[in-house]
Amino acid sequence: MWPGRSDRRPDMNGANATVEFGVTLKTRDGRSVAFACGPEERMLDAAERQDLYPPAQCGEGSCGACLAYVVSGEVEREPSGPSALPDRERAKGGVLLCRCRPLSDVELSAPYDAAMIRFEPEPERDAVIEAIEVLSAPMRRLVLRLGPGRDGGTGVDFEPGQYLELTVPGTDLTRAYSIASTPNWDGRVELLIRLQPGGRFGTWLNETAAPGMRLVARGPRGAFVLRDRGLDPRWFVAGGSGLAPVLSMLRRMAEWGDPQPARLFYGTWRPDEQVCQDELTTLQSSLPGLEIVRTVANPGTEPGAEPNPSWAAGTGSVVNALSASLEAASRQGEPLPDIYVCGSSGMVEAIRAAAVKAGLPEDRVFHEQCGGAVG
Amino acid sequence: MFCYQCEQTQHIDAVAGCHSLKGTCGKDAVTSDLQDILIHAVKGLAQVSHRARALGVTDAEVDDFIHHALFTTLTNVNFNPVRIELLIRQAVALRDGLGGKAAAMAPVAVPPGPARYEPPATHAEMLAEAASFGVRAGVETVGEDVIGLRVLVLYGMKGVAAYYHHATVLGFRDPAIDAGIARILSDLAGDPSDIAELLALALDTGTLNLKVMELLDAANTGTYGTPEPTVVRMTPVPGKAILVSGHDLGDLARILEQTRDTGILVYTHGELLPANAYPALKAHPHLAGNFGGAWQDQQSDFAAFPGPVVLTSNCLIEPQRSYKGRVFTAGPVGWPGVRHIDNGDFSPVIQAAKASPGFGQNVGGGGDGERTITIGFARDAVMGVAGTVIDAVKSGAIRRFFLIGGCDGAAPGRNYYTEVAEAAPADTVMLTLGCGKFRINDQDHGTIGGTADGIPRLLDLGQCNDAYSAIKIAMALADAFECGVNDLPLSLMVSWFEQKATAVLLTMLALGIKGIHLGPTLPAFLTPTLLAVLQERLDLRANGEAAADVARALGQAA
Repeated sequence: MWPGRSDRRPDMNGANATVEFGVTLKTRDGRSVAFACGPEERMLDAAERQDLYPPAQCGEGSCGACLAYVVSGEVEREPSGPSALPDRERAKGGVLLCRCRPLSDVELSAPYDAAMIRFEPEPERDAVIEAIEVLSAPMRRLVLRLGPGRDGGTGVDFEPGQYLELTVPGTDLTRAYSIASTPNWDGRVELLIRLQPGGRFGTWLNETAAPGMRLVARGPRGAFVLRDRGLDPRWFVAGGSGLAPVLSMLRRMAEWGDPQPARLFYGTWRPDEQVCQDELTTLQSSLPGLEIVRTVANPGTEPGAEPNPSWAAGTGSVVNALSASLEAASRQGEPLPDIYVCGSSGMVEAIRAAAVKAGLPEDRVFHEQCGGAVG
Repeated sequence: MFCYQCEQTQHIDAVAGCHSLKGTCGKDAVTSDLQDILIHAVKGLAQVSHRARALGVTDAEVDDFIHHALFTTLTNVNFNPVRIELLIRQAVALRDGLGGKAAAMAPVAVPPGPARYEPPATHAEMLAEAASFGVRAGVETVGEDVIGLRVLVLYGMKGVAAYYHHATVLGFRDPAIDAGIARILSDLAGDPSDIAELLALALDTGTLNLKVMELLDAANTGTYGTPEPTVVRMTPVPGKAILVSGHDLGDLARILEQTRDTGILVYTHGELLPANAYPALKAHPHLAGNFGGAWQDQQSDFAAFPGPVVLTSNCLIEPQRSYKGRVFTAGPVGWPGVRHIDNGDFSPVIQAAKASPGFGQNVGGGGDGERTITIGFARDAVMGVAGTVIDAVKSGAIRRFFLIGGCDGAAPGRNYYTEVAEAAPADTVMLTLGCGKFRINDQDHGTIGGTADGIPRLLDLGQCNDAYSAIKIAMALADAFECGVNDLPLSLMVSWFEQKATAVLLTMLALGIKGIHLGPTLPAFLTPTLLAVLQERLDLRANGEAAADVARALGQAA
C-alpha cells in the first residue's frame, strides 16, 4: 500500500512546489497503511484525501480519538487539549493526527487494529427518532431507527463500544454519543445521553425533539472495542453516561455467549443517576456470572436530590471499588482482568493508575473518555 | 510464534516460517502460540485415550473433540484466541475425565509428556510456556530431519482430522479410525526421534487417511447421493441471497433446508462449488449456483456479495471491515468479532439476508450475462463412461490424463497450473480437484475429438475432500488396463497449500503412487534429507517450467 514519497516538481513559475512525505501507520496487529502528506497538511486530512479513514472524531485536537505514536521521523504538533494529548502520552511520542504535520518521512504506531481503519468514506444515514425516554433527571435514552445504508441494507453494523455522530438537520448542531445497543439487522440504535446544563443538544432533545423527527447519523466511529485475547476476566468500569458503550459490550457478550467472567463497576454521583437497572438485571440472567458493583459518590446529599430508600449498594468512588477488587483478586491468586473503562478523563486516569498499581500492564486497560477520546 | 505448516509461509530470512507478530495467513502470534499449546494438550488427551482404549474404555466426546480441536489449527480455520484457550482447557478436562474412567477399570500410569500438562490459571502464564510446545522445540537436540518428520506426521494428522470431522458431522464414524488417530497422536506425544520409526508413522498416517477419505466419500454420497454431471450457474440472479463457503456439505444442506420457501437464494463459494452436483442438494430450487472464485479471492467476492456469508471450514482470510458484520462462521472456524453459529441454527443468517439488499433486477442474470460451467464428474460419473474412456485411450484419442489437483492461492507461482492447462494438447484430458480448478474452469476446453458428444477435456472431480474419488478412478483404470497406477498415462500435478494436502500426499506415499509434481513450492518443513527420501521412494518432483513438464510427461523433448 506504500504510495512512496512523491516529489512534485515546481512548474515553470515555481508554483505548486510541493514535497510530500511518506507516512506509514503501523497498527497494533502488525499491519500497516501508508499515505503521502505535504509539510503543510495535517496527517488526518492527508489520509482521508487518500481514502484512508483512521479512527478520528472532532478533527480539532479536543477528543484524542486520532492518537498515534511517532516511531521515527519528525513532526510538528499543533496545540491540542490537555486531556486529548496528556503530557504522559506526548512523552511517549504521542501525536494527534488531526493536529500534526510531517517534517520528514514518518512512521507511526497506532493503538488499534487495522480493522478499525476504513477505506471508504464514513457511512451517513437518515435516523428517525423512535423514542425518547427519561431515565433520570439528567439522563435520556434516545432510540433511533436508521434508514437504509448505502447498499440498501437495513442492518446497523458496528463494534460494541463505538459511537455515532448525530446532526440535527438544517443546523450546525452535531454531537457524538456511544451506542448502548448491539449490532442488529433492523437498524435500531439506542443511545444514553446525559443532558449538560445549557448544552445545546440536550436542550434540543429536551425541548424540541419528538418521535418521528429525523437526524443524520454518521459512523460508527471509535476504537474503544472489545479485544478477544483469551479467557482472562473482563472488568468494565462505567462512570455516568459512560455506561452506554459498556452496556453494548456486555450485551454483545451475552448475545454471543462469550466465556470470560465479567464484572461491571458502575459509578455515579447520586443513586437516582443509576439508570438502566432493569437492563442490567436482564443482563445478569443472560450473562451468567456477571457481577455488578454499584457505587455512588454522594448518596442523596446533592442539593435537590432525594435519597433513594432502596439504595443498598456501595458509596464512595468507583475507583476505590475497583482497587479493592483488584487487590482481592491478587491476594487470592485469581487472574487479573482486562479493564474497559469509560467515564470522565479524571476517572479514566484514576482507574488506569489503580490498575497499574495493582500490577496490571497498562496495555490491558482500554479506555474512552465520555465525549469520545480514545486511548 | 513459529509456524510453517502451509505453502505460503514466510521465506523472508534465513528461517523459513512465520515467526513475527503475525503470520502470512493473518493468524496473530498469540493465537498461533495457543494453537501450539492446544496441539500439546490434544496429544496428552490422545495418550490417555489410546491407553484407555486398550482397557475397553472409549468416549465418543473425546474422539470428536480430538478431530475438532486439530481441525481448528489448520491454516485459515480459526483465528480466535478465546476459542483456542477454551479448547485447551476442555482438552485437559476431558483427559482427566477419561483418565478417571480408565483408572476405574485398572490401574493406569499416566505417561510422561503431554498427558501431564497442566495449564496455568492465567492467559499470560499460559503464553509464557508456549515456546516449549512449539513445533521446533528440541531441534538443537534431535536435529532438523527429526523435527521435519514429526511435523510431517502432525500436519498429516491435521488433514486426517479435517476429513474425518467432515464425515462425522454427517453421522459417519469408524471406531478403527478413532483408535488410529489416538494411537498416532499418542506415538507422536512420545517425541519419537528414530527416523525409521517416524517414516513408518508417516506411512501409517497416509494409510489412515485413505480409510478416512473412503469414509468421507461414503458420508457425502450416502447422504446426498452420487455427484452427477451438472450445469451450474456462475452468475447471480435477482433476489435476497446467502453465500456459503468452505467445504461442509452438512452446513450447506441445513441452510438450504432452513431457507426453503423464504425466497432467499443460496449460492456456493470456493470449495463448495462441487456441492451443486449432489442430487439431494441440487434438488433445492433455491440453490441458485456459485458466486465468485477460489478462496484467495474472498475479500473481493464477499465485499461484492449483497448478503451474508457463511464460512463452514477452511479457508477464511481476514474479513474486511466492509463485510465483516455480515460474515458468520460455523463448526471449527472462527475470527475475533465475527458471529459464530455452533448449533446448526442459521436463523441469524436468514435474518441478515432479509436485511441485506440482495441482488437487484439489473444483476447480470439472463440473456447474454448468464455464465455456466459443467461439474460433477466424480468417481461414478467417470466410471460410468469407463468403456468409452478406455476405448479412447486405446485408440489414441486420449493420449494422457493430467490431474490438476489441490488448492489455489494468490502466489504468482500458481500460474504454473494455468500454464499446464494451456500447454496440455487437445488429445489430453484434465481432471480437476480442489479449488485450483477456478484457474481453468471458466474456459471452454472442448471435447476429445472435438465432437459435441465427446468426452469433455476438463472433468471436475470435486473438492479437495474428494481426492478419494481420484484415487479410485486411477485404481479402476489401472485394473482396466491391467497395469499399475504408476503405469497409467496419468500425470499428477498437485498444488498444495495446507495440511489436508499433506495428508493426501502421505496417502499417495503409502499407496506407492509415484511421479507427483508438487508445487508451487515444496513444503518448508521438508529438509533436504527428507526430500531426498521422498524423491527416491515417490519420485516426488518439484515444478519446473509448465510447458517443459507437460512435454516431458507426454514423452516429448522439452
